[in-house]
Amino acid sequence: MANIDKRNIIDRTRLSGENYFTTLLKQACVSGILTENNLKKVQIQCVEFLAYKCERYNSGDSSSIRVEIAESIMKSNLYTIGIFLKSLSDDDSAALQLKTQTISDMYQKGRRIIDTKFKVTKHIYLMMRSNKIDNPNYTYNATIGGSGIGIFFKTYNIDFEAHESPASIDYQICNPIDNLVGVEFIQKYTENLLYENQFCRYFDSATIHHLLCGFDDKYEDLLINIFEQVLATALGCIIVGQDPISLNITREDICILRSKLNISVNELAKTVRLAYNSLVNQLDIKRSSLKKYIEMSLSQVTINISNAVKLDTLPTVFPSLKNMDLLPKIRFFRQEKMENNEYCKIIEELLSCRLTSDKLALIKEKIHTFGDLDDVLFDVEFSIAEVQMIFNMLDEVDSAALIKRHPIKTDVMAEELSETELNLCSCLQKHMEQLNYDKRKRILEIVSRLVEE
Amino acid sequence: MAFELIRISSSLIQEQAVAEIEKCNYLTSRFGLVLSHNEAIELVETRSLSLKNNGRIEFGGGVINIIINEFCDSPYITKFNYAGTINELMEMFYNYKNETLDLMSDDDLIKFMKNSFDGTCQGSLELLSDRELARMARNLRHGYAPDYLENEEFEEDEDGEY
Repeated sequence: MANIDKRNIIDRTRLSGENYFTTLLKQACVSGILTENNLKKVQIQCVEFLAYKCERYNSGDSSSIRVEIAESIMKSNLYTIGIFLKSLSDDDSAALQLKTQTISDMYQKGRRIIDTKFKVTKHIYLMMRSNKIDNPNYTYNATIGGSGIGIFFKTYNIDFEAHESPASIDYQICNPIDNLVGVEFIQKYTENLLYENQFCRYFDSATIHHLLCGFDDKYEDLLINIFEQVLATALGCIIVGQDPISLNITREDICILRSKLNISVNELAKTVRLAYNSLVNQLDIKRSSLKKYIEMSLSQVTINISNAVKLDTLPTVFPSLKNMDLLPKIRFFRQEKMENNEYCKIIEELLSCRLTSDKLALIKEKIHTFGDLDDVLFDVEFSIAEVQMIFNMLDEVDSAALIKRHPIKTDVMAEELSETELNLCSCLQKHMEQLNYDKRKRILEIVSRLVEE
Repeated sequence: MAFELIRISSSLIQEQAVAEIEKCNYLTSRFGLVLSHNEAIELVETRSLSLKNNGRIEFGGGVINIIINEFCDSPYITKFNYAGTINELMEMFYNYKNETLDLMSDDDLIKFMKNSFDGTCQGSLELLSDRELARMARNLRHGYAPDYLENEEFEEDEDGEY
């Protein structure tokens, strides 16, 4: 008798989390819980309630309203009612409420639930902010900050746009949220991010930084999920018998992983699951909500590993630690610039030169320091072709020093630059594109290690 | 079964609106202005069309009654042009609700229309729509008072004469 389940009339699979009210209404009609008359009554009540809300929106000043605003208010009303209906024990009893309660009553109850959810979400957000990890990733910090999710708590309009989630959210969490909108979406998102932070805080933030540097030197600007990288690497450490806290997977470990993980997807899932159990024990994770979240993420990690094994790209799933501070630096010493008078003479000469070959010869002969060359590039209006020829004369370290001083920027960042600097940057970019792959890689390597003294 | 709740065509609401317009005859008959049942239906249809054309939605009787009550004592409205004028005023009203970005309330807009119609426009619907209302909407959009008048055309010369 204990195995007997309650038979549900409403088909749950046909209900949408986003449009719960309308899908429930449809299913209630299809299943016979609501008759044609019941439906008509609900529809009329909805329109009457919309009229009331539109009047409130216009503050009684206008009897008409733009269709798009009315539609948005209607969506907001139905979302609020949906929140109340979702809070009931099951979908059948929710459908029965459509028969027994008025739209206005259901809205008021939903509104109270949204108020509570809003407060709860704000509390979770503050918790999540306080346990954020110290990491330079831009989208992570921007999303958690006051101008990311924080906007929501200032601009959320519960009365007329309850279904909207006005927040700037770019950071991708490991378990994406679909089928939720409004305050429900923000609550779920902040909860998930809180769990991700909780997990990452078991590890040293500097180690996480080195791990992500191993994934990509410029990971600060990438749209990556920190938790996913840390979890995968920690599981990898367990599989190869390393300490998960170290997040240290060497090249030899990668070889071991390659042979151990070259198995079927089902077996791989089992291996990952076993590693997870061991990880939970070793890190002494007690919170069941956190464990549940990590479990949810295992399938994603398994897929990533499976794909990486097939494509032979395991180092992207299990990157090695890379401490940028420990890399050998190339010191670039600035020599003294030439005297002003002498410099002015050279500039005059360069400006009076008609032939490019003469200009190049003059630069070769008279310009001996990097600082002077940099000034000349700004003070003499060379054509793009001439600039390219000057760049071709430079050795790799000089090219790297120029790139370091005038980094190639995105269009948005480039707005701050002067026209001359912009031209120089674009010439540098073109020059780099013309170089062969190895030389370009060598120059960029020098750029990352170059320290100007 | 219609699940698009927003698009319910409520014939009941239409009937109510016609009945409300007919009730106005009691007041307007003092000025010799009476709308027949068909003319009332036509007004409601014009309203629906204007709302649709201007991307707006309205609940209840709307502004027809307010327009009728405001304009019924206009010296420029007679029994011969009554229905037609009210139809055109209503179209203008919804158009300029949008043009003014909903910055003006219904009552204020109708009062502005009445004052202009009886005043500077002297009963001309064209002047009301294309000059007075257009200027007022432009003023509101640019942040001026509705009756702000630019002195471009009437610049005074040195002697203070036009």
